[in-house]
Amino acid sequence: MKPLDRKLWRDLRRLWLQALAVGLVLGSGIALFVMSTGMYGSLERARDRYYAHERMADLASSLVRAPDRVARDLAALPGIDAVEARVTGIGLISLPDVVEPVSARLLSLPSDRRPRVNDLVLRVGAWPDPRRDDEILVNEAFAEAHGLAPGAPLDMLLRGKRRVLRLAPGASARAVSAEVDRLLAPHGGRGAYGRDRMLSARYLSDELSQLRTMASVLPPVFLLVAVFLINVTLSRLVATERANIGLLKAFGYRNGAIALHYAEFALVFCAFAALLGVVLGGFVGGYMADIYRAVYRLPVLEFEAGAATWLGALGVALLAAVLGAAGAVARAVRLPPATALSPPAPTHFGRLGAGAERAAQRLDARARMLVRRIVRFPRRSATTVAGIAFALALLILSDNFPAVVDRIIDVNFGVAQRMDVSVTFAERQHERVLRELARLPGVEAVEPLRTAEVILSAGPRRQRDALMGVPEGAWLNRIIGEDERPVQPRADGVTLSEGLAGKLGVGVGDRVRIEATDGRRVVSEVPVVALIKPFIGGAAYMDQRALGRLLREPERIDSAYLRIDPAERDALAKRLKGIPAIVGVTFADNAEASLRAMFDQGTGFFAFMFLAFSLVMAAGVAFSAARVTLGEQERDLATLRVLGFRRSEASWVLLGELGLLLAVAIPIGLVLGFALSQWLMSEFETEIFSFPFVFDPPTYARAVLFVVVAVVAAALWVRRDVDRLDLVAVLKSRE
Amino acid sequence: MTSARPPVFEVRGLERTYGEGAAAVHALRGIDLHIDPGELLVLLGPSGSGKSTLLNILGGLDRPTGGSVRFGDLDLGAADDAALTDYRRHHVGFVFQFYNLIASLTARENVELVTEVADDPMPADEALRLVGLGERLTHFPAQLSGGEQQRVAIARAIAKRPTVLLCDEPTGALDVETGIRVLESLVRINETLGTTTLLITHNADIARVGDRVVRFADGRVRSDEANPARVAPSELRW
Repeated sequence: MKPLDRKLWRDLRRLWLQALAVGLVLGSGIALFVMSTGMYGSLERARDRYYAHERMADLASSLVRAPDRVARDLAALPGIDAVEARVTGIGLISLPDVVEPVSARLLSLPSDRRPRVNDLVLRVGAWPDPRRDDEILVNEAFAEAHGLAPGAPLDMLLRGKRRVLRLAPGASARAVSAEVDRLLAPHGGRGAYGRDRMLSARYLSDELSQLRTMASVLPPVFLLVAVFLINVTLSRLVATERANIGLLKAFGYRNGAIALHYAEFALVFCAFAALLGVVLGGFVGGYMADIYRAVYRLPVLEFEAGAATWLGALGVALLAAVLGAAGAVARAVRLPPATALSPPAPTHFGRLGAGAERAAQRLDARARMLVRRIVRFPRRSATTVAGIAFALALLILSDNFPAVVDRIIDVNFGVAQRMDVSVTFAERQHERVLRELARLPGVEAVEPLRTAEVILSAGPRRQRDALMGVPEGAWLNRIIGEDERPVQPRADGVTLSEGLAGKLGVGVGDRVRIEATDGRRVVSEVPVVALIKPFIGGAAYMDQRALGRLLREPERIDSAYLRIDPAERDALAKRLKGIPAIVGVTFADNAEASLRAMFDQGTGFFAFMFLAFSLVMAAGVAFSAARVTLGEQERDLATLRVLGFRRSEASWVLLGELGLLLAVAIPIGLVLGFALSQWLMSEFETEIFSFPFVFDPPTYARAVLFVVVAVVAAALWVRRDVDRLDLVAVLKSRE
Repeated sequence: MTSARPPVFEVRGLERTYGEGAAAVHALRGIDLHIDPGELLVLLGPSGSGKSTLLNILGGLDRPTGGSVRFGDLDLGAADDAALTDYRRHHVGFVFQFYNLIASLTARENVELVTEVADDPMPADEALRLVGLGERLTHFPAQLSGGEQQRVAIARAIAKRPTVLLCDEPTGALDVETGIRVLESLVRINETLGTTTLLITHNADIARVGDRVVRFADGRVRSDEANPARVAPSELRW
């Protein structure tokens, strides 16, 4: 081993804590990078593999009923690769362990072959025997939730009689769907729609876009902080090694060898970080894949980061090393040997501004030391402030999410949907049915809802969505406006969600075309009268009576909302199970619980991960800053001790500097956390969910507490070295 | 100097050993010394002779491993860390070869660092005037020459009106002219304030400014002689 290499390893042994701090911060960033980009790729591949293997439909259209030959006609259309015709129905299932009726959608399977489109993956059991009419396949998640195994009997009341055709075109979806619509129109076709309107595909693409946001935002923050940490650590190393550098140059070592020697420190830091990040990222990614597998039920979903991700992680580490080391290495190279060998002149401190200097005069000498140092080394002070502020912001960001979920649920179930039960009818009913519902046991109030699946268009832009008719003065199902307060449905036009209005490119006062996809297939044009921003779903609203008139089906409703006496809940559930016209019954508390469960899936793990990474960042930054400050101030601290300052008084200079930087970082971190949360919530917004920005003071207080604890712990760790200072050795050394 | 007043320091059989067994280094091997108030005592000897070790023990920066050392009623060998800190704070002024000024504080502020915590300090400006730096109060260390920096260090050491001033090779890093100016400051303070001053040097010429010269070699006192004819620093050449 060459002497310089031996020196490198010995010095590294001395610097291992700093190496650890840099490695942990950068490693966290690389782990986030590996996890988010790797997970993005894995999820996308798993989806694409599943879609390809099971031949996921590109277009779907539902219709009232059509003869089988229509499917053959569709298959003959240019651009269509495969067609699968289906019969679907909705029914109520009676489960022995559940009091409430459970609604289920039934889909037909071809009797003599596997489906050509939307094939199924058989997890347990066998395909139904086509000679028997009492065998079905059940969704795995549903079976697990209710403990159903193959062979278990299922009591089902099947109603309804709609048919659905699914198509898989190999050409322009737009052109094909127009042809499909034309062919299916005589049979009550409701218009073909693409994958972007298929719920499962939407959930997946929303998740992918959130992963992409995470991959693009978080790792760079860690990278940036790590670069500064490397810069600060290496600059200090070069400063303390001044005489050694002079000596090496005097002995004839070339600049290249010296540059490489100091760059190697950064490379070792970053190699450690890369290793840590890759291992940690792989572990976290594997855990996430388990969560995703449970949520999305993709048959094959393994976390595979892929060569590009691994190379990217290595590239990130190398980039951090190069960017972090460049300044310090350049200083080592530029240092003239003669200057390096003579003792360094005292660091030049100038006066602050006139005003600041006057203020400084009111401080005691130690406070002045502290302020002047912060001002003298602005970049380093800024690094410390930025690192701590970022850590605080990240904590706020992750810790704020439960408050957002609470708000979504509170507003949705407390202000908007205040019903206890919602009931869906198999066929559209006359409003009279409300009177019958009101007579059921425990029902205290009833409210109707008219829903129409429509195509909204403005110019060339078209969107398929639900138009909901809400009665005037609605009390159980209310439309929520911008300020989270209920707004009244309007009879003179439609109220649109901001998302839908954006897609259509319309605002209040513009007119939109409405095409009903069923019933009398009315086509009409109405003005947009208001915009709202619902948290969950929701698109277009109108006054219920006005909508009935518009669709030329007055006094018809699809669903009803009930407010009930909780004591009568079981009795009501039993009665609802036996009413043939009802195909769907949802109890609001179940809906709330399942929504919460959906949000909570993996949230705990994420919160823990973010907490750990943010604390690593805060403590790493504070530790590095304290270490470097101690290194630079060793002589000053020893001088203070010799002059008769007590340990606590001397360490005050060290801790005071960190404390002051922490005090500056906290408000910046709070504002940054506030702004980042706001930005991320808008970035996470999907068609299904819009995330409100919630300012939850306890979240901010908790984040500050965590960061303060991390910084104080790091500072106290370094403070122990003040107690161990060898006063005589420090003061008698040249530098 | 008369011995009627009690000595400032009373040193008996003082030993200081670093390390153990075969690797043990005996820095002090039984020193007996008493130092009277107001004396300017020069400790003379080659490197490694033990003079700095003695100075460090007298200044409360190090502890002996044998014998006793007293500052008035205070047993410096038995005092704990907090007591030694208080002792330094109230009674000792240090001057080192490398000035050890705080770079982020001006000359005056370096002195104020001490006057802020001392019981009965002199004004910082006065201390700086005593060392001839009345004009350089607001300069930062980086704006001062080596000699000026050392004089700020002396001003900082004396501003608390210490009982003893301990100087370890205060001219070691300076040229002759500058070194003489620094010695003049030390002598002036010894004479005007009556501060007991211990001056370490390995330069026999410089020793001529002292009231008494104690020669060290190999951890022992080789000679302890009064200097009947003190020489003014300006007459020195080395």
